Amino acid sequence: MAEVVIGKLSKSFGAVEVLKDIDLAVEDGSFVVLVGPSGCGKSTLLRSIAGLEPVTGGSISIGGREVNGLAPAQRGIAMVFQSYALYPHMDVAANMGFGLKFAGAPKAEIAARVQEAARILQLEPLLKRRPRELSGGQRQRVAIGRAIVRKPQVFLFDEPLSNLDAALRVNTRVEIARLHKMLAATIVYVTHDQVEAMTLADKIVVMNHGRIEQQGKPLDLYYRPANLFVAGFIGSPAMNFLKGEAVAGGVGLGADGLISLPLPPGTAPGAHVTLGIRPEHMRIAAGEGGLRLPATVDLVERLGETGFVHLRLASGAVAIAEIRGETGLKTGDRTHVALDPARLHLFGADGRRLG
Amino acid sequence: MRKPLSAFAVHAILGLYTLLALFPIVLVVMNSFKARRAIFNTPLHPPSPANFDPVGYARVFGDSSLAFYYLNSITVTAGAIILTLLFGAMAAWALTEYKFRWNTLLALFLSIGIMVPIRLGSVAIIQLVAELNLINTLTALILVYTAQNLPLAIFILSEFIAQIPKDLREAARCDGLSEYNIFFHVILPLIRPAMATVAVFTMIPVWNDLWFPLLLAPAGGRQTITLGVQQFLGQYITDWNAVLAALSTAIVPVLLLYVIFSRQLIRGLTSGAVK
Amino acid sequence: MPQGAYLRLLLFFLGPAVLVYTLFSIYPLLATILNSFYSRQSDGSHLWAGLGNFHTLLLDPTWSGPFWNALKNNVIFFLIHMSVQNPIGLLLAALLSLPRLRFRATYRTLIFMPTMLSVVVIGFVWQLILSPLWGIARMFLNFFGLGFLFAPWLGVESSALITVSLISVWQFVGIPMILIYTALLAIPDELIDAATVDGLNQFQAFMWVKLPLIWPTIGLVSILTFVNNFNAFDLIYAMKGALAGPNFSTDIMGTLFYRTFFGNQLQLGNPAMGSAIATMMLIIILIGVMAYLFLVQRRIQRYSF
Repeated sequence: MAEVVIGKLSKSFGAVEVLKDIDLAVEDGSFVVLVGPSGCGKSTLLRSIAGLEPVTGGSISIGGREVNGLAPAQRGIAMVFQSYALYPHMDVAANMGFGLKFAGAPKAEIAARVQEAARILQLEPLLKRRPRELSGGQRQRVAIGRAIVRKPQVFLFDEPLSNLDAALRVNTRVEIARLHKMLAATIVYVTHDQVEAMTLADKIVVMNHGRIEQQGKPLDLYYRPANLFVAGFIGSPAMNFLKGEAVAGGVGLGADGLISLPLPPGTAPGAHVTLGIRPEHMRIAAGEGGLRLPATVDLVERLGETGFVHLRLASGAVAIAEIRGETGLKTGDRTHVALDPARLHLFGADGRRLG
Repeated sequence: MRKPLSAFAVHAILGLYTLLALFPIVLVVMNSFKARRAIFNTPLHPPSPANFDPVGYARVFGDSSLAFYYLNSITVTAGAIILTLLFGAMAAWALTEYKFRWNTLLALFLSIGIMVPIRLGSVAIIQLVAELNLINTLTALILVYTAQNLPLAIFILSEFIAQIPKDLREAARCDGLSEYNIFFHVILPLIRPAMATVAVFTMIPVWNDLWFPLLLAPAGGRQTITLGVQQFLGQYITDWNAVLAALSTAIVPVLLLYVIFSRQLIRGLTSGAVK
Repeated sequence: MPQGAYLRLLLFFLGPAVLVYTLFSIYPLLATILNSFYSRQSDGSHLWAGLGNFHTLLLDPTWSGPFWNALKNNVIFFLIHMSVQNPIGLLLAALLSLPRLRFRATYRTLIFMPTMLSVVVIGFVWQLILSPLWGIARMFLNFFGLGFLFAPWLGVESSALITVSLISVWQFVGIPMILIYTALLAIPDELIDAATVDGLNQFQAFMWVKLPLIWPTIGLVSILTFVNNFNAFDLIYAMKGALAGPNFSTDIMGTLFYRTFFGNQLQLGNPAMGSAIATMMLIIILIGVMAYLFLVQRRIQRYSF
């Protein structure tokens, strides 16, 4: 296994820049997840590492070796595609050994490595089947098996779970995490699903408009998002945002009143700011005082033990609060919502985190 | 069908037309086994021990060259199909996969032949074939038919190759295959169904063509079966047994093949021509 | 990929197809057009003639008579196909695509059968059937009490062209049938169900829902018919020979071209005039294709399901 270092990577199609000045280090044996909305450049970045997309500038090195000029097969990577990309005219064993065959490996070695990968993934009974005779989950495992057989320095996963149904997705996610531990593999993984990102990653890289918005440990991104985009992207349901302006001793929210909190030094009074708070850090509470805001219940979604209340505040802004256990809330109720002061996030007019 | 009456009408129309389509063929094949007198006196009677007479077939197979003509037709058709499929698939792959500067222009150039019949260039084709010393050779026919069929083949195969998921070609690149190996080991096996379509398309017109055999290989034992039958018929025009037997030998093998492959064939005809 | 390797790759994949196609298709077409501007001298040399060959072809009575005759016959040949072959093809396709039709595949296979056979064979088969000698056709007319209608249609100037055209229609009706049939099958069943719910009967559903959706295919069938008809040769040659008798009444562009280029009992072969006729055929076909592409196809709305 090896580390991947990307420096000042850029790529453009004509005038359109799809990757801008990407700097990223993937440590040896770590699991890095690239996440972002569709069109953010995460797949392009992954395919650039694979060598499937030519880049306009910058460098990529794998295991200390610059690979910019190398063909995909010479980079020591293996890729698991979203559509699995299994060769439909070959059986599972042939699919897994195909790359080795063209690398000129001896037959016995190919067979041994295919057998080994099949054992790891419990694919042994399926080796003689064609891809169309397999279920979605089995195809997925074959695609991973094909990557394992190559003994790559880096595994690249391009949205591998998006074609699976919900239950299978959870199983496969666990399976991928297990494989990562067992093989001590370096993995770069692309997804648009932030739950996958949070559960799998050692490091999450949030991308938007061809740029890295923030990279870090999952919980760091959760607790200290660097900007509005990351704050809104990580966490489900998304963080609530309340627009206001900085005043002495806190943030003025117009009709919703004043939230008193210490402003970071250098915040000019009157500056436009955005207050962020996650649903799980808001409580429905009667009474007055503290960080309480009056609200009307729009809708109650009950998931069982937990649930979400959609609220309309006095200013007309909407927010979602998490509820636990039984509550008698129903649409149209007037109530109050309490914000946990320790969990408030403050963002400036440019979207960056303040303080 | 809601009303049995309309169902009856539909079957009546289709049935009558089917009879109209089959009658001439059945009539010829049936009478080819009969004696001359029976052909004329009782043309609608099926062959029976009483009127059976294979003299026509004796004449046809006595003219040993017809067997060679069959061989010539098979050679020409097979040769043209193989070259069309191979060259067509290679060109379709390059035009679909590689974005080079003259890509669109070249695709347009290659599609001229879909609408403009190559026959109109016959004068120059004869001169060219003469200069290449290929008159009365099967090679000339194979090359001309390949040129004639390539445009449609490239068109159909391109559509098909474009439908192969991009991931698959990239997986092959990650597996370390050269571009040549990607084509021969991944793409070619995958486009077999489309190649079958093109083969069907190519096969029938080539087998049945009279024009180019007449122009390029009219003699010297290089005739195809279509031309051979035409010449045979001209020669034996008054010998009804021989004529009917010759027609039947031209009809029956084609129809047998057709009935065996009709499903694939009709699928091929439709999938290619509609696009 | 290095530039040189990339070029080699393109050359490898495109070279063979482009070479064969250019040499045996594009070059001959261009050379034929070029040839048509030269005249051949008695000593075998070629002389630039400008539009002279076309002038001769269209205006010199010895050439223009046969030319206009062949063109007129070819137009009739085409019109008979358009008005008989394609409507029958449409009818058969419409019937074949009816839901829950039994023996569908059998009908389809059998009706398409003649299309598979060589034109030469078909031509001879019909020649025998229509021959007064064998008398099959007369026998059938007699059966219906219509024996007085019988005539040696192929041998009579007034009916030979129509007879040959109808034989060609009989052979090729399978092509419009199959093309239209496929287009009809591609129309989703729900659409017809919706029409039924809207109160249309099967005939109305065909006229108001299916037919508008298959216009592109009917347009395609028409242009294919046009190109094939103005390029036809085999059937006339097989049935009537290069002289397209009786008295040139079945002469079409293809037979005129062949006779002019190769010569026959009546005249010597003339490659220059043959090229001029081929060029005229090319122009006619191109005009047809262009008219179709720019006038017809643009107005046809295409739908995807």
